[in-house]
Amino acid sequence: METLNVEKKNLYNPVISEILKVESLTATEKRFEIALPKSAMLNHKPGQFVEVSIFGFGEAPISICSSPTRTPTFELTVRKTGRLTDKMHELKAGNALGIRGPFGNGFDIEKFKGKDILYVAGGIGLAPLKSLIDYTIDKRNDFKRIIILYGTKNPAEILFPKEIEEWKKRSDIEFYITVDRPDDKWKGNVGVITTLIPPLELDVENTIVSVVGPPIMYKFVIMSLKGKRIPDENIYLSLERRMKCGVGKCGHCQINGSYVCQEGPVYHYPRCKELEEAI
Amino acid sequence: MNDVTNSKLKKLKQYAFDKDSTLKFIEFLMQKTEVIAPQNKGQASYSYEIVKDAKDVVLDYPRTIQPLKKFFLPPVEDLLAFDLNANTYQEEKIEAKDKIFFGIHNYELEGIKRLDYSFKKGNPESNYLTRREKSMFIGISYEPDSYHFSESVGIPADKIDGFCLFFDKISNKSDYMVFVVDENGQKLIDSFGKVNEVKSKAEITAKKFQNKVKLHYNRIPQVFDHVYKSKVWDKVAERCVGCGTCNLLCATCYCFDVRDEIEINAKDGKRTRFWDGCMLNTFAEVAGGENFREKLNQRTRHRLYRKFKYITDHSGELHCIGCGRCSKYCPADISIVEIINSLIDDYTTQQKKN
Amino acid sequence: MSKPKVAFFDFTGCEGCQLNKLNFENELLDLLELVDIVEFREAMDDKAEEYDIAFIEGSISSPSCVERIHDIRRRSKILVALGQCAVSGGINAIKNLHPMDEVQETVYGKDKYLFPSIPAQPVSAIVKVDYEVRGCPMSAPEYLHVFKSLVLGRKPEVIDHSVCVECKLRENECVLDKGMFCLGPITRGGCGAICPTNGQYCIGCRGPVSNINKNGAVEMLKKHGFSVNEALKRMKMFSANELDKKIEWGR
Repeated sequence: METLNVEKKNLYNPVISEILKVESLTATEKRFEIALPKSAMLNHKPGQFVEVSIFGFGEAPISICSSPTRTPTFELTVRKTGRLTDKMHELKAGNALGIRGPFGNGFDIEKFKGKDILYVAGGIGLAPLKSLIDYTIDKRNDFKRIIILYGTKNPAEILFPKEIEEWKKRSDIEFYITVDRPDDKWKGNVGVITTLIPPLELDVENTIVSVVGPPIMYKFVIMSLKGKRIPDENIYLSLERRMKCGVGKCGHCQINGSYVCQEGPVYHYPRCKELEEAI
Repeated sequence: MNDVTNSKLKKLKQYAFDKDSTLKFIEFLMQKTEVIAPQNKGQASYSYEIVKDAKDVVLDYPRTIQPLKKFFLPPVEDLLAFDLNANTYQEEKIEAKDKIFFGIHNYELEGIKRLDYSFKKGNPESNYLTRREKSMFIGISYEPDSYHFSESVGIPADKIDGFCLFFDKISNKSDYMVFVVDENGQKLIDSFGKVNEVKSKAEITAKKFQNKVKLHYNRIPQVFDHVYKSKVWDKVAERCVGCGTCNLLCATCYCFDVRDEIEINAKDGKRTRFWDGCMLNTFAEVAGGENFREKLNQRTRHRLYRKFKYITDHSGELHCIGCGRCSKYCPADISIVEIINSLIDDYTTQQKKN
Repeated sequence: MSKPKVAFFDFTGCEGCQLNKLNFENELLDLLELVDIVEFREAMDDKAEEYDIAFIEGSISSPSCVERIHDIRRRSKILVALGQCAVSGGINAIKNLHPMDEVQETVYGKDKYLFPSIPAQPVSAIVKVDYEVRGCPMSAPEYLHVFKSLVLGRKPEVIDHSVCVECKLRENECVLDKGMFCLGPITRGGCGAICPTNGQYCIGCRGPVSNINKNGAVEMLKKHGFSVNEALKRMKMFSANELDKKIEWGR
């Protein structure tokens, strides 16, 4: 029989880490700044995720929203949707939580260099994208145009208001935002995110698009991008699944033959077309 | 890799065992180490258990309820014990223990080889691999029943590589021809000492399988390239109740769920993993409530593709070993061989049209 | 931190679930350590105005029950349906399969007008239910899990797989193979497959798994030699409300 002699390790031990800062972003989202013990670096790529665990409350995959170019700590933006995330929202600076990771495949940044970068973020999809947005801003000279499209259900759900103000101010970033359901104070665009795509003037061959949002959004965004004649090879998507173990074993995140926690969550769109269950 | 082909079989040393020497041999093994073997379970079922009395071992059995995986990937396994207040934890200590599995059907060992692949690939998992170390397997032949179809997935009766010894039943009186497959087997025979080598070289008795897949197993993945949208999935889904039995008892399924439980003292707790299955309703559900394989036809398709395509694309082997458990224990009487044969029909019809 | 105030209320049911709680000899005292029990008719008679957690046993099957459950809901932060009557109407809901008038006459005879009755409904049909403990009687391990979870401020796990899953984890011999009628394949687990583990068949007391293939279930039982009538009758014993959507609520 084949040898069992491989370098194996315990894959499920979390690293107890410290919450340095908690910031409320919306009624349901908070941002956490987290430090690994002994100032260790997470060494992540934009687009990757970690498994966050609180003993007694389980584990959940959360994408990293900070860029590896910034500080030795990292940030997670968490929506209250379940056992773990509910509890996480109760935690404060100084509290501990467990971290495993980073896991998965991030954005293929090398392919982005020298290109125009178009970001399409729906709802909480801005969180994982922010990691990449900040990265491209920090290495601004490596990229040409940076265009950010962001859509939420209503103005109350807008994440990262401080960052958004900065993006708006900068002349080297084009930022567009829309909401589905405006309130009385809203003066901006109204409509779903796809309404922001047709007016854009793009050098389609040289534009790389990164799309992150709720599952329902992808189909429509892809249709709009196709309408703009953006080649499929220029599109990247980050897909949400139940990445329970993060190490390609538990099976919950599988899309056809692909483990999202290994090959994804960021997929090159041509690969998504091979995976029937992807979008 | 120690691949034993039929021509090599003839070169293997052979020993004659009768019922009594087999029993004595099990007792001999028990003195050396822990022995695990098939035993009676309930009225008409079998399970692999640690042997306490050699007489409990059942040598003629169609299959056990749970496959052998339960010793390496326990159905319920604590991963870590934690202290809620102190935020500290201890991982479960797993030790590699010497053990001999006696009376194992060849497909069962093939199932373990498939799991070895799955747990070594990518991130080698110490929980499984540590338990898996120091295991020796002694095989035994079996009479295929109406559910076995191992031959159809490339595991004929004489596939014995990976065992150290193989017991081939040669008479109704529980006489066995024992093939020495590797040096560990020879060592066991030598130190047991009570049996004689047989000079006339026999072959392992061929078996007749009633349950058969219509195409050669090499071509099954090719069929799966063309039947993703087949109506067969809908047909099966009409009968399937999604109970998950096929997943849980499958020798090569290894998906799991992890849950935390807190003790009543509100301080201590455990993180535990459980066998899980892609046939179950909430398996592919995410926190937001979206279920990515809500329908039974999608789930059945996923299960079969995992056996014949998704992992096979990487490992080069079918990840079904033809034990027939999924069909034998299916409360709705769904037969995996019927599904595959219907898919083959579908594929053949497609080919004719083109 | 003050202990959560916990209350127990019973509606239409046999009170077996309530009594079952007192049977946790090993855990009862530890459980009591964690909470203040402010209302529990079987064990004491204090009353409080507000509850952190209210456990409701029994179905809603009379007009006065409806008012009472609204009142409890208003005063409770978390409301848990305890046992199958509260979760789905349970056995009580069998009466929903017959004309209400006939049912009342059978039970109360000519005095039926003294006892107003409505079809047996789950608590969730009247007010918002936060969590459930299924089973008839309620499953002890699930009750402990929900109780501990809520007291510690965590959402309990909701089990939505079949009893078969837990039966297979324990490597039980399949009772269908022994010729018994078993509803395990379509019944929600969480009970640890306690009946098949003890050689009994599953009677479906925890109700069906969600997203159930009802026709498949009937076909399955036919394959094992049970008539369609028998199959439906048994499936409806604890799950009349869930399995027969034709039932009129009568209000």
